[in-house]
Amino acid sequence: MSQRSPHPREGEGLGWGAPELRTRGRWPPPAGPRVAIVGSRRPTPYGEAVAEQLGADLARAGVVVISGLALGIDAAAHRGALVGGGATVAVMGTGVDVVYPAAHSRLAEEILAAGGALVSQFPDGTTPRRHNFPARNWTMAALADLVVVVEAAEGSGALITAEAALDLHKEVLAVPGSVFSPLSVGTHGLIRDGAGLVQNARDVMAALGATQEVLDDPLAPPAGLGLGALPRRDGILAHLSDVLPLSVAEIARKLQLPVAEVLGRLTALELDGAVRRHHDGYIRALRSGQKRA
Amino acid sequence: MLAAVDSCTLAGLDVRRVEVQADIARGQVKFLLVGLAATSVKEARERVRSAIKNSGLEFPQSRLTVNLAPAELRKEGSRLDLPIAVAIALARTGKRPPPHTAFLGELALDGAVCHVDGVLVAALGLRNLGFERIFVPAANAAEAALVDGLAVMPCASLKALVDHLLGVQTIEPHVRGGTGLGAGPEVNEHDLAEVHGQEEGRRALEIAAAGGHHLLLSGPPGAGKTMLARCLPGILPPLELAEALEVAQVRSLLGELRDHSPLGWARPFRSPHHGVSSAGLIGGGTGLAQPGEISRSHHGVLFLDELAEFQAPVLQALRQPLETGRVTITRSGGSVSYPARFTLVAATNPCPCGWAGDPVRSCRCSPGAIDSYQRRLSGPLLDRIDLKVAVRRIKLETLASEPTGEGSAPVRERVVAARARQVARQGCLNALLRPARLRQLAALEPASRRTLERWAEQRGLTARGFHRAWRVARTSADLDGADQIGERHILEALGYRLQDVAA
Repeated sequence: MSQRSPHPREGEGLGWGAPELRTRGRWPPPAGPRVAIVGSRRPTPYGEAVAEQLGADLARAGVVVISGLALGIDAAAHRGALVGGGATVAVMGTGVDVVYPAAHSRLAEEILAAGGALVSQFPDGTTPRRHNFPARNWTMAALADLVVVVEAAEGSGALITAEAALDLHKEVLAVPGSVFSPLSVGTHGLIRDGAGLVQNARDVMAALGATQEVLDDPLAPPAGLGLGALPRRDGILAHLSDVLPLSVAEIARKLQLPVAEVLGRLTALELDGAVRRHHDGYIRALRSGQKRA
Repeated sequence: MLAAVDSCTLAGLDVRRVEVQADIARGQVKFLLVGLAATSVKEARERVRSAIKNSGLEFPQSRLTVNLAPAELRKEGSRLDLPIAVAIALARTGKRPPPHTAFLGELALDGAVCHVDGVLVAALGLRNLGFERIFVPAANAAEAALVDGLAVMPCASLKALVDHLLGVQTIEPHVRGGTGLGAGPEVNEHDLAEVHGQEEGRRALEIAAAGGHHLLLSGPPGAGKTMLARCLPGILPPLELAEALEVAQVRSLLGELRDHSPLGWARPFRSPHHGVSSAGLIGGGTGLAQPGEISRSHHGVLFLDELAEFQAPVLQALRQPLETGRVTITRSGGSVSYPARFTLVAATNPCPCGWAGDPVRSCRCSPGAIDSYQRRLSGPLLDRIDLKVAVRRIKLETLASEPTGEGSAPVRERVVAARARQVARQGCLNALLRPARLRQLAALEPASRRTLERWAEQRGLTARGFHRAWRVARTSADLDGADQIGERHILEALGYRLQDVAA
């Protein structure tokens, strides 16, 4: 089912010599810069939104978005690239015929249908093994011109990709997050160590050398998360964060209202799409003023 | 010479009359015991022989036959010792026992009458069968005396009993201490005033208490899930007399009733360990099944901590009792049925390590592990739990300060008032309302209906989920003293669900 091709970029080989890649779909991908977007498998809604929007904006700018088909940031980046109408490459830690996690088999089909590719350094039929994923992260760094880390806790696999990129003399950029969030510890560490800061897709394009101009526009939240109408004005919204979930009890304490009422009002806001539930708390939904696709 | 006295045998809470017939005939010296006696009853022969001899009575030196009628009914336990001995003693003297009188008790070799299990159940059953007087071990007199319309005669020894029957010396009937059947409400060990924060959990607990809803608490280790659960009995109204008697019956079968004040008013709280077997949880054992944890928590609270750690078949077995409030268990000795109407409080970590969603500590579980952990919880059992609440760990600095929340007493007042509204309206708690009665009794304001339908459409709510929210909203309205379910009640009810488990 897969074709074999030699490693695409000579001289950018992997530490242990260029392995053969098994591929499905269009390989090599369309010409153009390649950017890997990596991050936590369990991101905050903020991180997920950032990955999706970056993926979309970069794809629109003609960038091939590379990621690992994992849950969380990876999937969001692939989805964003598909929304942006670009080709996206999934570098897998399993055989190209084994989609992991299985829940992403539809995403894999969509990637193939949109002219992207699934690639792997492992033989067909390789099942997910813990020790294969760090090697995959190296391959991802090798295939990309540049790596963007969206959200990574300390010790996250995304940091392995960043390290690999540095070893291969490629640039690493990182997206800042909330200083309260454990999922931003890794990315903030990268920035502290000299990684470029990403606020929007143009920052990435600048790092690629595609454009000199760096503007400080905020990133527009992806359309998929917002609804058309502005939410009705509700005091609760002013107290909610869009990164850190606040529990009902915390909001009730701030507003000095009974929990029963706060819970009811949050449910009403949730029904309107203005807030989302995240684990045991609520966050303000990001909105772009565009109708849900 | 022939004599017959009455006793009974128990099958769960069912009481069946047993007639113990003793016949002394001429012939070889022999003691025959017939009438489908289990091993524990066959052993009575030896105890009875020694007890009679050591009480200074004469054991017949001829052919003695004791028959336990009806012969097709299997008899178990040591409570037939006393009636067998009495029948033998009477057969020797040719005297008849007083009418409408039954005997229960185990004999020691020296002739003392010992405590037996299930006397309260037996006394109730015998009274219903038309008996007026019951001779029981002195240690069981207090529990037997809970039954109205039955004279309870405490027996300390076989000798005293035989003397009484022969008119040598009388035994005075046991008089119940006062009319109040024991002390007032017992002081609760756990009070909500000791709970720090957890406003959402408290509110859910209040709704669970008011409407009889089952509750799931999800949160990291040390968040206070157990503490919250233990506060539930304290905000429930004390047991009513009929309820207290039902609770006492189960405890009587298990031999747990204390000598003085056999009747408790506090609601039972049981928290079996997650290693419990299904026989331990729902009831079981050889021969006839004994009551399990769910029957011990009848009219009270069953707390299952670490719900995901329980074996799946054990949890599956909870479905029937959750639905019907009774459990029927069939074993080799026959089928018995026990009451099991309890409020289930379950607690679980959100993931195997417990820290998913915690704002400070990060979770170390793989997404696959979290998924399979939560799948273990989902399904039919979770479907029957109306309230699901996430409990957060509170900050350590808060723990050092005085808790500021309400105590149990005012919450209990609101709960009692809300329960009274429900009973006046429909004769049962909201959690027991089936969809048809819900439509009939729990009218939704148009705005509430629209909201509920909109939610159902947006979130793909199942029919069960729809009715769950409706029932909880009814309880929320009852706590508010409202006749109609307002939009805010529906919205609140929809909030009691967990993110990752289907609503």
